[in-house]
Amino acid sequence: MLQCIFLLSDSGEVILEKQLTGHRVDRSICTWFWEQSISQPDSNFKVLPVIASPTHYLFQIVREGITFLACTQVEMPPLLGIEFLGRVADVLSDYLGGLNEDVIKDNFVIVYELLDEMIDNGFPLTTEPNILRDMIAPPNIVSKMLSVVTGNTSNVSETLPGATSSCVPWRTTQLKHTNNDVYVNLVEEMDTIINSDGALVKCEIFGVVEVNSHLSGIPDLTLSFANPSILNDVQFHPCVRFRPWESEQSLSFVPPDGLFKLMSYRVKKLRNYPIYVKPQMSSESGTCRLSVMVGIRNDPGKQVDSIVVQFRLPHCVSSANLTANHGTVNILADKTCSWSIGRIPKDKAPQMSGTLVLEEGVEQLHVKPTFQVGFKIMGVALSGLKINKLDLKNLPTPAHKGFRAQTEAGQYEVRS
Amino acid sequence: MFSQENFSKASTMVLRMGTDAHLYDDPDDVNISLLLDSKFDSDKCEALKRLLALIAQGLDVSNYFPQVVKNVASQSLEVKKLVYLFVLHYAERRPNEALLSINIFQRDLGDQNPLVRAWALRTMAGIRLHVISPLVLVAVRKCARDPSVYVRKCAANALPKVHDLRLEENASAIIEIIGILLNDNSPGVVGAAAAAFASICPNNLPLIGRNYKRLCEILPDVEEWGQIILIGILLRYVIARHGLAKESIMASLLPNISLNEKTGSESDTDYLGIKKKYEIGIEETELVGMVSRSYLAGQDKYLSVLDNNSDVMPSEHVSSLFTSSKNDESVKILLHCTSPLLWSRNSAVVLAAAGVHWIMAPMEEISKIVKPLLFLLRSSDASKYVVLCNIQVFAKVMPSLFAPNIEDFFINSLDAYQVKSLKLEILSTIAIDASISVIFQEFQDYVRDPDRRFAADTVAAIGLCAKRNPQVAKTCVEGLLTLISPKSNNCGFADDEAVVLIQAITSIKDILKQDPASHENAIIFLIRNLDTIKVPVARAMIVWIAGEYNSIGNIIPKMVPVVLRFLARSFPSEPIETKYQILNAAAKVLLNSKGENFDTAKNTLSYVLELAKFDLNYDVRDRARVLRKLLSCYLASSGIEEKEKADNNETEIPVLLAENVFGENMKPSTETVNNRFYLPGSLSQIVFHAAPGYEPLPEPCSLTESDMVKGLEGPGQTEVNDSDVDSGSLNEEGSYYSEDSVTASTRTDDESATSETGNNNNNNSNNTDSLISFADVSKPQEETNDVSELMSEGALESWLDDGQGRSQSQSHSVDERIPSARISIGDTSARIKPKIYTLLDPTYGNGLKVEYKYSFEASTISPSLVSVDTFFQNCSSDPMSKLILTDEDSESVDQGSSESKKDEPVFVPMEEITALEPGQSIKRVIHVHFHHHLLPLKLTLWCNDQKHPVKLRPDIGYFIKPLIMNLDAFSQKESQLPGMFEYTRSCSFTDHLAEVASDDKDGDMSSTKDSFLIICQSLASKMLSNANLHLVSVNMPVDAHLNDASGLCLRFSGEILSNSIPCLISVMVHGNCFELLNASVKINCEETVFGLNLLNRIVNFLAEPRLTS
Repeated sequence: MLQCIFLLSDSGEVILEKQLTGHRVDRSICTWFWEQSISQPDSNFKVLPVIASPTHYLFQIVREGITFLACTQVEMPPLLGIEFLGRVADVLSDYLGGLNEDVIKDNFVIVYELLDEMIDNGFPLTTEPNILRDMIAPPNIVSKMLSVVTGNTSNVSETLPGATSSCVPWRTTQLKHTNNDVYVNLVEEMDTIINSDGALVKCEIFGVVEVNSHLSGIPDLTLSFANPSILNDVQFHPCVRFRPWESEQSLSFVPPDGLFKLMSYRVKKLRNYPIYVKPQMSSESGTCRLSVMVGIRNDPGKQVDSIVVQFRLPHCVSSANLTANHGTVNILADKTCSWSIGRIPKDKAPQMSGTLVLEEGVEQLHVKPTFQVGFKIMGVALSGLKINKLDLKNLPTPAHKGFRAQTEAGQYEVRS
Repeated sequence: MFSQENFSKASTMVLRMGTDAHLYDDPDDVNISLLLDSKFDSDKCEALKRLLALIAQGLDVSNYFPQVVKNVASQSLEVKKLVYLFVLHYAERRPNEALLSINIFQRDLGDQNPLVRAWALRTMAGIRLHVISPLVLVAVRKCARDPSVYVRKCAANALPKVHDLRLEENASAIIEIIGILLNDNSPGVVGAAAAAFASICPNNLPLIGRNYKRLCEILPDVEEWGQIILIGILLRYVIARHGLAKESIMASLLPNISLNEKTGSESDTDYLGIKKKYEIGIEETELVGMVSRSYLAGQDKYLSVLDNNSDVMPSEHVSSLFTSSKNDESVKILLHCTSPLLWSRNSAVVLAAAGVHWIMAPMEEISKIVKPLLFLLRSSDASKYVVLCNIQVFAKVMPSLFAPNIEDFFINSLDAYQVKSLKLEILSTIAIDASISVIFQEFQDYVRDPDRRFAADTVAAIGLCAKRNPQVAKTCVEGLLTLISPKSNNCGFADDEAVVLIQAITSIKDILKQDPASHENAIIFLIRNLDTIKVPVARAMIVWIAGEYNSIGNIIPKMVPVVLRFLARSFPSEPIETKYQILNAAAKVLLNSKGENFDTAKNTLSYVLELAKFDLNYDVRDRARVLRKLLSCYLASSGIEEKEKADNNETEIPVLLAENVFGENMKPSTETVNNRFYLPGSLSQIVFHAAPGYEPLPEPCSLTESDMVKGLEGPGQTEVNDSDVDSGSLNEEGSYYSEDSVTASTRTDDESATSETGNNNNNNSNNTDSLISFADVSKPQEETNDVSELMSEGALESWLDDGQGRSQSQSHSVDERIPSARISIGDTSARIKPKIYTLLDPTYGNGLKVEYKYSFEASTISPSLVSVDTFFQNCSSDPMSKLILTDEDSESVDQGSSESKKDEPVFVPMEEITALEPGQSIKRVIHVHFHHHLLPLKLTLWCNDQKHPVKLRPDIGYFIKPLIMNLDAFSQKESQLPGMFEYTRSCSFTDHLAEVASDDKDGDMSSTKDSFLIICQSLASKMLSNANLHLVSVNMPVDAHLNDASGLCLRFSGEILSNSIPCLISVMVHGNCFELLNASVKINCEETVFGLNLLNRIVNFLAEPRLTS
């Protein structure tokens, strides 16, 4: 099992270490790790999740510049390590409101306390955020002010949260809300690949059913879809009961309090995609003319917002001069070119054009960049998934129900 | 006005206010000691936070330990928590101070608040001190029955910590607690217990068998982390208990099975059809076998089954290794309970569940795992790489599984390089006729990717596709040729582009090898473009192609000589690689040419050779020289006639040689396949070597019904038998194991048999990979526990006594450094009387009396055999004839699995005694190989053609032989075997009393000296009469008090017969000479199980009162 967890800053400094077992891991392993990842910048060592070092096996994930590193010396499911680190990152970022070196250093005591609750002897102990919140209070402005004024507040709970012993460990016991409400939100991401011929290679939706529940007592909810057959595959929050899904494809669950991902799903082999991007490149004698057109292809019926087209200039481009008739074009230091369009105007089709100057000795551009597209559409789920109804049982007072949907671009790629 | 910068600074100041930022930034700007001693909790808190900050920054603050530990008594939970964090970090380094906190922990364990109890248990177990392990064990046992689920969960988590201390005495107690916790009602506890089981005793599968069905049913409710582990355990159990499912992909490794099944029902033929559909080509079938074999332990056995084509092993036996996933309840329930887990949000759970289906599910249902696995690629970014690594293996074995889902493996530009190359490899594996065109379309886009290394990988993947699907080879080659065409390779980034170019030509070369004749145009194209290709490696390869295929088709034979002449002219300016290939090509052309071409070829070659002779590079010169010699017969001749003449002229050898080297019958290079496969979802599969602690699946059906029963009896019975064992073990006469311990010791044997495979594997892993040398791999051996006394609660008490005894003995070992005198006890041989056992009593044997004693002599047949002197005496009045001892009928013995048979005791047949007159006594030496079995060996004694079943009781004292060593060597060896290799037990010793008393009566002045000597002598003779040992030394303390025998120390050495592992025994005596002495026996031996058994034996016979003869 895991022997040690290190948190590394984006400059390779060890922010903190937590030894988990009697087999102490020296922090020199971090030095080794950092030297390796610096020495091979292009081999993506930094994103390799499982690394065999001379003395330990390392699992790593990188979140917002913070590297979470776990060490083991024995066989164990690598995904267990990776998933756990991911969970730690989620919990920390939830507690601290984002992750960066400073915020971890500022709250290192809480981080230690959390880690101590989350893992015992190298095996995950309590990872359920609801229980953790009851055990260790998240830092908030009130407690901060109190500690400034009185110099003393404890963020460690005096009692064991009741949820640890309940059969629904994700739910805090004895919840009371004055306003009972529950919101169901379909958040979809569209993955598309359009190849260099302009043909659609792949178009699918990766969606999440987010539920934000503020309900008193222990409610029992049933959510059913009008067209569950379009779902290719699903993943559930532990609160979902498998039986009803197997028999009638409905989601029956006791929800955790607050916002959570009830289920994620995938819808494959879609035909319609909202935005087209048409890149054209022609190069001769050391320069390359580039023009990109963007427009609506299949109207989703709602406004398409925050359209962004991004691509990376190939290595052999020395400089670029690009302008757009709508929106702004930015070329960043790492040769990423980003064209923010926003909404597509009614009167004209947005177009970006200009020239790329190739490095000396390069006559023609043979490599083709890939364009990543970002957009957001509120109020529509492009997969076509429809919620049929949400039943609430076991509630003291009737609750307000709300439904929303939105679609964003996921890995939406257009090859040139 | 604030500038922007100032403002942001100010805002961070505000944001950081009230946090612990200042503590992290300047942790030691105040006097921490003062704060720690403050009476206010808030001060203590601050001090502890500062210390924690120092720990976080990697500084050693263990010097504050004593002050911090004091605060463990604080009522504030926050202080407590912080103290625990600190104590856990440093406990191992400051064991003495850590002990100070134990009382508080014990008090906290009785606290009302479950949180306090849990924390106390976690910290106490986390301190990891040998001294307190009995206390921890008591605490864990108590907490395992705690009303709070959380505390019980912590108890389960504490077990591996206790086990980590490697105290043999605790092992059975730990396993017993695991059993209790696995039986818990709360899924959370079961999950934690499963994790403890996996890390402590993964091979104690009978423990799972008891709860199997319940564990399966509770599985969906267990926490996700527990699920991951529990799935693996259940899979192991099912395979060990019921074998592989015959419809599964694993079963397809045995072809004879499927043959036998042909006569089966319709569903079976269905399944065969599916099987055929799934397996494409022979290569894949072999791969399937290889993969499934490498999943299993004891692979060699299956290999031999395959090799012998079921001649040796009856097919029924083979099929008994299989069960049916459709009919077997256990398999069905496992598959049923794991299938909803494929919907888990935790990728590790999904992969673990998929692994179970991959191994156990019927072939037609395996497709169930496809969608969840592919979904993981999108849903969790971090695990994408690991999941792909596993999919890659699945796809290799069963390409059809993923064939309909090619677009999931299409590359996204943001993928990491490793992910991209894995996807490419999978794509080229699963490409089929229907999808190949789409895949190629994709590949065309990839080739233009700005990352040229990835583009080169794509080119390699195209080559692979063409090789696997020969019908598309032409298209592939055409596509690849466009990459080589002149206009695409004059890009300025020569290095980047060269990678792609070289890979393209390598791929073409590989495709050409399969069917050169059909790619004539490609070869021509390549040769034509030779002039434009400047990259040396690429150029060399084209020259090689030209030379290799110089006689294919009509155009090439005409082209190649011309090209060669052209190359010959530019020879001096070519890079070295190309020079080599020009030489080779010229030679090949010469061998293939006839008529007038022969002259041209000869001239070209001679010209090139001449140039090469003066080349700057010595390797080129050498090659030229070799070629000249080799081809001298061709070069010297001026035409075919002469060539033929040369053939006849007994110069055949160089010709043949030349033909072999350059001719067309070149041996195709064998592709190296990565044939190391590990279980799906394992770490080893990702790093491509067996990680320490990796274990393949257990052997199918290695867990028999009887194992299950014994396993159940083990921990279950002891509670009932506590008192019996405690009293019985000391008082039992003759046999040193009671009926109760028989069950326990058999269990040991079985377990050691199963654990052996595990150990082998560990060894293997160490051999194959020295990356991590790790002494802490949980060795199954240590889990095996044999001593039934230790299984009970009563044993814990006795252990506690032992612990004191041991600490005493430690203090004595300090004493030893104070001058001690070695004394000689003279010749003890006269006093050594080996015990004589009765094999057959005359009352049962019609007057035949057979006795035996273990011999000190080494066996004359093999050093690993134990020789037993057997005395046959005819007490009747009739003569007897044809006396012989034989092994009991083998069929009744061979009930267990065939694996265990290897370890069964072997009895070397005895020389027959033809006749035995009345009153006559004959001695025979028999030789037995016990393999450390402690069960009586059942033999048959034939006499007058009558059969008498007899039992030969093994004596572990004779499983060793004396190992001569001096005291220095002894102490050196002893120091090498500390900790887990050392066991101590105490017993009483009374043998000397009679003699001492009689001496005392004489009232000599030298009585003290004598009584010491008597004690030594009686101890030594007792030891040497009962075990085959070498007496190394007898030491007594110089400053011995009158009549105080304490400190007397006898050392013995021996080595285990079967494996020559040394075994060191020290006997330490305490007490008054004239009273009952307390002897503490210590054994240092690497073979832990053997050592423990021997220790028990020694303690038993020492405590046994001497028979007054």
